[in-house]
Amino acid sequence: MADSKTVEIRIKRQLTPDGPSRRETFRVPLRPGLNIIGALMMIAENPVTAEGRQTVPVSYDANCLEEVCGSCAMVINGKVHMACSALIERLDQPIRLEPMSRFPVVRDLQVDRSRLFRDLQRVKAWIPIDGTYDLGPGPRMSQREQEAAYHFARCISCGSCLEVCPQYNDQTQFVGAAVLGQVRLFNSHPTGQMNAPERLEALLGPGGIHECGYAQNCVEICPKDIPLTQAISEVGGQVMRHVLLGFLRK
Amino acid sequence: MKLNEARLAFMSSSAESTASPDRSFFWRRLHSVSGVFPVGAFLLEHLYTNSYAINGVEAYNEKVRGLTELPMVLILEIAFIYIPIAYHALYGVWVWWRGDGNVTHYPWTGNWMYSLQRWTGLVTMAYIAFHVWEQRFAGVHIIENYFVAFSKVQHSIARPAVHAFYVVGLLSACFHFAYGLWLFACKWGFAPGRAAQKKLLWACAALFLVLSSAGLMSLRSISTAPLQPRPEELLKMRSQKSVARSQGPEAAGKRSAF
Ligand code: FES
Repeated sequence: MADSKTVEIRIKRQLTPDGPSRRETFRVPLRPGLNIIGALMMIAENPVTAEGRQTVPVSYDANCLEEVCGSCAMVINGKVHMACSALIERLDQPIRLEPMSRFPVVRDLQVDRSRLFRDLQRVKAWIPIDGTYDLGPGPRMSQREQEAAYHFARCISCGSCLEVCPQYNDQTQFVGAAVLGQVRLFNSHPTGQMNAPERLEALLGPGGIHECGYAQNCVEICPKDIPLTQAISEVGGQVMRHVLLGFLRK
Repeated sequence: MKLNEARLAFMSSSAESTASPDRSFFWRRLHSVSGVFPVGAFLLEHLYTNSYAINGVEAYNEKVRGLTELPMVLILEIAFIYIPIAYHALYGVWVWWRGDGNVTHYPWTGNWMYSLQRWTGLVTMAYIAFHVWEQRFAGVHIIENYFVAFSKVQHSIARPAVHAFYVVGLLSACFHFAYGLWLFACKWGFAPGRAAQKKLLWACAALFLVLSSAGLMSLRSISTAPLQPRPEELLKMRSQKSVARSQGPEAAGKRSAF
């Protein structure tokens, strides 16, 4: 296929979590509709660099390939994006791929997002319905609140909002927009509401909602268009009311 | 089995007792609210007072006199100006230092404002330190000699570099306050909706324009007014006058005899 076009992809590689990193350049034939994951699969089939050197396939996370599992976020041309929905034709070339910078690298483009999941646990981002007996049907949720909550239910925990957040680092321990969005979701749910005080308490601790600097990058980058700044604002109000009213009722 | 339970109970109780309560929420929110009151409120008062410079030297000095005559002025200054500004400034540096600005990677408006809020904070802090030292503590004491107020500012900004610093400091302070007000409304949950936030942002932009033009006009009135005697000269003139008065009718009579 000498006549077909190729694209150049430069990838930041790192074999071990603490090891050194280096860049490798690959050339893959351009196919219509090709996305980054497709290109990485082609590299895996034939792991040879543009200089003709044999190497090992590139590690990355991906699962659904339709932007719903949230595992494939990576920094593409300097900006975080879901690799499975990043179409090669729409990107400036040569394409630069790097792992997300706010999470520890496992290998190559694969990162460890445990912190996000730990923070979801910290705020109890779920509705406890398990018990030893049938609790019966929960309270009804208004159509209006269903529609408002739906936006927040679309979160795929990809970590893009955390990657772009200037406040998300080891120093602040900030939980980040994704987690605050989930607090918004579960606190408005008629059953989830019952645990709202616990979630709000968690947000008063280290890395809580006060670490937000309202740079609003989260809402700009979110691949699911979740109104994250609205969630932060609403939860901010809930936390304030919780603190002030709690103080007055003591 | 029992041992296990005891161990678990011990572990959970010791975990609770060793965990020192985290007060960062309180201090961060205090920083936020202190920017509105009293620091922001003082900025408004200060710009209002300064605008009397537009009405001339006398009007300005009289307004300053009114402030110096407030009861317990020193306590008011310390409690409502020095401590809140120092706290807001120092905690603000801490906030700035902990953030990782990334506006070069993600140059969105909100991100620009995030960075600008930090830069204007730092500039304002440097400006306030210089301004307070020079106007409040250095030179002729202003609280005891309200009548040097206009002259003190005028001679200070007669130096072009200082004049420029005043303009930059003023604009920084007004920006930082106006955008800070918006951030306050958003973070405390007063304006969560997208449309409401947008409208409020326009209102804050208007506030910035009003405040900074009021400040610039006052500054211009001071720099373009006929040059006053230096504060030291004013002080000397004043003490000569009071000496003449204290010498009584005799002295007055002598003078009239000439
Ligand atoms: S692979 Fe699931 S979101 Fe990209």
